[in-house]
Amino acid sequence: MKNIGLIIVREFKERVYKKSFIITTLLMPLLLALISVAPTLIMIYAKGDTKQISVIDNSGIVAERLQSDEDIKFVTIPDGDLQAELKKSLETDDFGVLYIGEDIVTNPNNIQLYTNSSSSMLIEDTITDQVEEIVEAERLKARNIEDLKQILEQIEVDITLSTFRNGEEQSTASSSAASSLVGIILGFVLYFFLVIYGSVVMQSIIEEKNSRILEVLVSTVRPFDMMMGKILGVAAVAATQIIVWGVLIVVMSALVVPAIMPDDILASVEAVQAGADISAMAASGVDTGMVTAMASIMDTAYIAKIVVLLLVFMIGGFLLYAAMYAAIGASVDEAQDAQQLTTPVTIPIIFAFIILTMVMNDPNSPLVVWCSMIPFTSPIVMMGRIPSGIPTWEIVLSIVLLYATFIVMVWLAGKIYRVGIFMHGKKPTFKELYKWLKY
Amino acid sequence: MSNIITAQHITKRFTGHTALDDVSVEIPAGSVYGLLGPNGAGKTTLIRVINRITIPDEGQVFFENRPITQQDIYRIGYLPEERGLYKKMKVGEQALFLARLKGLSRHEALVRLKQWFIRFGIEDWWNKKVEDLSKGMAQKIQFIVTVLHTPKLLIFDEPFSGFDPINANLLKEEILRLRDEGATVIFSTHNMSSVEEICDHITLINKSKNILSGRVDDIRRSHGNNIFAVNYRGEADAFTSVTECCDVLESEYDKFSGMTSAKIHINQDDDVRSVISAINEQVELRSFTEIIPSMNDIFIRAVNGNLK
Repeated sequence: MKNIGLIIVREFKERVYKKSFIITTLLMPLLLALISVAPTLIMIYAKGDTKQISVIDNSGIVAERLQSDEDIKFVTIPDGDLQAELKKSLETDDFGVLYIGEDIVTNPNNIQLYTNSSSSMLIEDTITDQVEEIVEAERLKARNIEDLKQILEQIEVDITLSTFRNGEEQSTASSSAASSLVGIILGFVLYFFLVIYGSVVMQSIIEEKNSRILEVLVSTVRPFDMMMGKILGVAAVAATQIIVWGVLIVVMSALVVPAIMPDDILASVEAVQAGADISAMAASGVDTGMVTAMASIMDTAYIAKIVVLLLVFMIGGFLLYAAMYAAIGASVDEAQDAQQLTTPVTIPIIFAFIILTMVMNDPNSPLVVWCSMIPFTSPIVMMGRIPSGIPTWEIVLSIVLLYATFIVMVWLAGKIYRVGIFMHGKKPTFKELYKWLKY
Repeated sequence: MSNIITAQHITKRFTGHTALDDVSVEIPAGSVYGLLGPNGAGKTTLIRVINRITIPDEGQVFFENRPITQQDIYRIGYLPEERGLYKKMKVGEQALFLARLKGLSRHEALVRLKQWFIRFGIEDWWNKKVEDLSKGMAQKIQFIVTVLHTPKLLIFDEPFSGFDPINANLLKEEILRLRDEGATVIFSTHNMSSVEEICDHITLINKSKNILSGRVDDIRRSHGNNIFAVNYRGEADAFTSVTECCDVLESEYDKFSGMTSAKIHINQDDDVRSVISAINEQVELRSFTEIIPSMNDIFIRAVNGNLK
């Protein structure tokens, strides 16, 4: 145990004090923040010119109701002649000419746009949307129904289903959509760190073999301790990075983002954050079910329980896969050789993501339940199942299986490492890998 | 004297060749034991079998007359031929890490490391990175780390390679000092002069087989070719002409001192005493010494298959 501690500390120090680690750890959140505000900034500072479109309206009903905005300006040409306008338009830097036929209400296709330069999807959509609305309103008017708009609004309905666990004293309302979303996000975080840090573990062991220090260590340290120390050391580095990123992102969104965002945009963002717009959102068709689900998981005790469980699964999943990467690192001499062996490792992760989408439909279907027990898929599948509320024994069993498999995997990696040491310069075959296991 | 290590009938095959073929060695406690042999003979494999890095296909290793266990390994200090240290780590930090892995407390490790660093005159290396050290320098560090926890048995694989003569001497002195303090030392080498100077026992391995084993003195004596150096007053032919009991291989007369030095060969079954008295009757004999072959000669002859 003492040796595991020593190895963890060494591994941790070596990685955390590296310049590249410090730089990526500090710069990544900055980069993320920049990426998140970039579209807004681009929209603000790099706005395109307003495009002027001449409108020749033979029907006499459309042109006057077309609304100009920042992007498009409609200029009605009364009694205009199309050919003359087109000629005239070429000499200006107008965008083009919109021709609306006389029978637009009965024949909605009788509308043409002539452009001087290439057209754009945005402009075409704006025009068709506006004209559609105008024509629809015109057609409704023809039917002579009074207050039709109000009637339609009164008919519209949006149902929010509140679900309760039967037999539980405190009714914990939960929305499977929202909780699966949390699960998917955490699953991706887990996947992201596995891909980065799994190969760090692998590299670390390959380096160990190439630096030839292993011959010294193998006569000093049990291979199991060695593997465990390396995996936990790298896990500690990953945890450090997550924590630093978390803190930096919070700090940055509190300080840096307001500094570079223009005031008016910030104000509207703050308004949304304050929840002032929820009713407005509901009115404008935002999924109110989602909003109430979000409110329901604001219950702190419930959140704490779920977060702790998810962390247990996330850490367990990380450790198990790190151990698998360690086993690969132990069985090859060079990073290139490891490439073909890492592919099988990532397959269960991808499979688990497919299962995770099935959790949304039914968190208790047999396939989902099984996959939440099998250690290779359980960390990700459980991310989706836990928020939907499942029996405690299932969670406990799954955790025990996950961590037990982790220990076995470390032991296995240690074995491979121990026996594979003196295979320098020789690629192992799967047959040989099997032989080593039997030692 | 009891044996600290007994290896019996060790056979180890790799794909395509046999590294060790029925090799047995007995290593007495408190000795300095040399494993000799040309490159690729199987010395390193034997060392790895002894300290349980490699599992032999056949045969068994005993530590203090019990089958060796993993626990015993932690009482062995092993300096592999492939020197390896973490390149990015600082010397002191790394030495401390390795010492503590071997069970020393932080304090104890610091005290001992300081002593060793002073002894080797390398105190100012403490904060250097390993990648900035030369091969020989790194090797010194590794030597210190190997012996720091005062293990009962020390195994050095080619300890002198990469050292200049001064440092090689330093190393020899340290090996002898460690033996005097009670450790048993096994080392492999093809540096024959070091063998004569510091080894008590040797095993010569060639082509995966143990071809010669025993005390260094006994081996050298038993492989003498009955050649003697004779020193007498008088001209070179003074005794060449009179004696028929031996062949004179070479002789040289020094006219200033009036002395002759000669090398003679005595037939195996002749009595050395009668030869001496025969010579003594003819000339004024000043000295008569057996010329014992060097380990280097024995090594080359043994490897070429010309031994006896």
